Amino acid sequence: MNRTARRLLAVAGIGSVLALAVPLSATTSASSAEGTPTVLRVGVPNDLTTANPLSLRSGSDWNVATIQYDMMLQFGNEDLSPQPGLADGCEPNKDMTEWTCTFQKGVLWSDGEPFTAADVAFTYKLIIDQDISTYAQYFSDGTTFETPDDNTLVWKSPTPTSQPLTPPWIYILPEHVWSQYADLEKADLRAVENVPSVTTGPYTLTEVNRGQNWTLTKNPNYWGDEPNFDEIRFQLFTNQDAMAQALKNGDIDVATYFDSALLPSLESDPNITVQRNASDWWLNLAFNFGGQSPDSDPLPALQDKTVRTAIAMAIDKQGIVDKAYDGAAEPGTSFIHEIPQRWHYDVPEADQIPYDPDAANAMLDDAGYARAEDGVRVDPATGDRLALRMPISQETAGALPAGQLIVGYLDQIGVEVKILPVNEGKMYSYWNTGNWDAYIWYWTGEPDPNYQLTTLMSDQCGELSDGCWKNTEYDRLVTQQKDIIDPDQRQAVVHDALALSYAEVPSIALAYPNNIEAYRNDQVTNFTPVPGDTGYLIPNYNNVGMVTVEPVSGSASTGADASTGMSAWGWVAVIGGVGVAAFLFYRRRSRVDDEEG
Amino acid sequence: MRVRYVVRKLGWAAVTLMFVLCFNFFLFRIMPGDPAGLLARSQRLTETEIAEQRAIFGLDKPLMSQFWTYLHETFTGNLGTSYLTGQPVLETISSRVWPTVLLVGVGTSVAIWLGLRMGIKGGWHRGSTYDRTSLYGSLTLYSTPEGWLGMMLLIIFAGSLGWFPVGGYDSGEDLSGLAHVIDVAKHLFLPAATLALGYGASYMIVMRSSLLEVKDEDFVATARAKGLTETMVRRRHAVPNAFLPSFTLIVLSFGFVLGGSIVIETIFSYPGIGLLTYQAIDAYDYPVLQGVFLISSVAVVIANLLADITYGFLDPRIEEV
Repeated sequence: MNRTARRLLAVAGIGSVLALAVPLSATTSASSAEGTPTVLRVGVPNDLTTANPLSLRSGSDWNVATIQYDMMLQFGNEDLSPQPGLADGCEPNKDMTEWTCTFQKGVLWSDGEPFTAADVAFTYKLIIDQDISTYAQYFSDGTTFETPDDNTLVWKSPTPTSQPLTPPWIYILPEHVWSQYADLEKADLRAVENVPSVTTGPYTLTEVNRGQNWTLTKNPNYWGDEPNFDEIRFQLFTNQDAMAQALKNGDIDVATYFDSALLPSLESDPNITVQRNASDWWLNLAFNFGGQSPDSDPLPALQDKTVRTAIAMAIDKQGIVDKAYDGAAEPGTSFIHEIPQRWHYDVPEADQIPYDPDAANAMLDDAGYARAEDGVRVDPATGDRLALRMPISQETAGALPAGQLIVGYLDQIGVEVKILPVNEGKMYSYWNTGNWDAYIWYWTGEPDPNYQLTTLMSDQCGELSDGCWKNTEYDRLVTQQKDIIDPDQRQAVVHDALALSYAEVPSIALAYPNNIEAYRNDQVTNFTPVPGDTGYLIPNYNNVGMVTVEPVSGSASTGADASTGMSAWGWVAVIGGVGVAAFLFYRRRSRVDDEEG
Repeated sequence: MRVRYVVRKLGWAAVTLMFVLCFNFFLFRIMPGDPAGLLARSQRLTETEIAEQRAIFGLDKPLMSQFWTYLHETFTGNLGTSYLTGQPVLETISSRVWPTVLLVGVGTSVAIWLGLRMGIKGGWHRGSTYDRTSLYGSLTLYSTPEGWLGMMLLIIFAGSLGWFPVGGYDSGEDLSGLAHVIDVAKHLFLPAATLALGYGASYMIVMRSSLLEVKDEDFVATARAKGLTETMVRRRHAVPNAFLPSFTLIVLSFGFVLGGSIVIETIFSYPGIGLLTYQAIDAYDYPVLQGVFLISSVAVVIANLLADITYGFLDPRIEEV
């Protein structure tokens, strides 16, 4: 190759790369230009599975639906208690079989159509008729709805109910849009995308590029305070390190669902504020009592509360928090996590099962579980070794390291554990058949405790129950709490049920992991975490945070991405330069070849 | 003779495709677990509801019944519906094809150009500093896992230097014309570079060793004796004869264009077929997995067929084998 041509090509090549690279460096300092839409850029590790509020699945699905849609009554910012939303409130009749809910006047859908109580009745009926189980649980069989006028809904239940005040976590759909889908088969209904969406919330979903990004645009008819950003753009990062890097570079303003391993890197950057939320899921170790299927064959010794209690005593939950979650979690206690605080039962110290392997050993010795030659204890009643088969959901954050730690913890008390790391689908198979002794999976509930409490009820064996634990007193308490309206009275019964399940040890709440979010404090400010100060920044329960968040003065994220930082003519010049260089090179080479030939 | 050769190759391609079609169905069902069971915790479903979901997916029927339905639907052009999104598989795959074709097409083209040039120059000047440097460099790159290489490029050029975006196909801005092209090019640079560096090294090694084999052949000495310059001897006589192994590699590489690169697309959050495959595996999305594997396999089989047929034209001796 001719030396001059080679130099020309090299210069042109480097020039092109630098030209591609340089404008991006300018991105971080891009400032809001007059008339340019302001964009809140959000990084997430989960793709948008669906834009359909009836089939939400991933964390991103919930985030996007929560930003767009309103519930009848919404979750309060502080403690998720029911607050006025589309409805101002709901009042029961004397025997609590009929609730009258009154709605705000003048609310419009994003397409300008008026919102009425009929939209609420339509949504609820659609869920009941299609039997969309995630939501249908809020309605007793035979529940009906009437709308005497545009601003009133009468909820009629054949049995006394307090469900309207739960409040039902159901996003209200526009009847004038969704009625065309009402007669579809359930699978087809759940596949309806409805983009651009018609909503009453502060933003509407206007564009979805699955696997890449999705954009919400400000709803001009929103009934609440006007949001401060024109658009919210979610960007998918399938690589968590890359998401952290994008935040550090200022390519995104806020990101959620970070791995705890990234905490040191995020916290070391002064321009980044980290939010450790009490998350809406927790890590749970369940014992199997058997009965799920004919193949169910749990270790009989697990029926003995002494064995279960000794195992609970031998597990160092703080060790799990420190080692499996890098400290980004709280040790678990009762069977409902810390959101909402009202229903979580903080076990009094006197009633707690402490971490005390020595006491656990003594308990087992006293109960006759002697150690065999290999150090593993033997059940005096059956002669079985205390050896547990323990499937672990390897896709649940922290579950596998927690399981590995538990192998060591239980070895100290003569209980052998064989861990079986499996994926979610296989976990379900274990759950279904019952051929396991203990397993580690997660639970995620909702603000109302009813669903979570139900999962431990006797009649849920083969349905929602992990290990088919049966306790009539627990069943009575859970049934009782369902229809208590007074929050304090209900709290007392819920806590009684949780205290009982804690003491009986059908399962062990190992840890309440934090959800880690982070944002650029030099780019955005004024988030409203929900619930309370340690709540979610990216909406999970209500959309208030997306209304209050605003750009930091003078450094707003804008749609004017610096990818356009160099003028188009500049790019024409660079690309033209490369072309000329290539032309010169080939002309020169052809000449040399001809001369040589 | 030539027609018979082509027909024979076409026949084998059809048999291979039929095998792939059947294999695809059973391959993913060997995976432990239940796709409907994945919804158990995330959608808080009961056992009864999961059974209902299984029926919606068609998984409640006997395996062979599912298989015949799958074959029938595939032959009628229906690849099914995604378990994850409820969207048609063909539509889902179509939306991811262009980014992958762009990424793998550009990356592979650069790799071919770079690898062949380095291989030719290194092989022709065996033992030179250039040869040693390029050979050791290529061996290093060839043996480097592409995931690690991608992460290094990401950390250095997107992280420390901030020159390029950390991921995605474009910035998502409402750009058009040249500004959009530049935006896409910036996002393409690092993943394509990762691909080009890894693949380029293999082209370099193959081309170099082929050239070394023919370099001392009699016909090369004859060309020199005729008074041709070194450049002419290399370009007109040595390289064409050493090119056949690289040619096969090139054609097959383009066959993999539709398959994408799972590792690179995942690292750079690049929304192509590779990332779709990763997401589908994660969600036990059988229909999408079957669709992706089928289309990728068809592309590879066609590329292989083209290689075989073209090979026959390039080197007639092959047809006689």
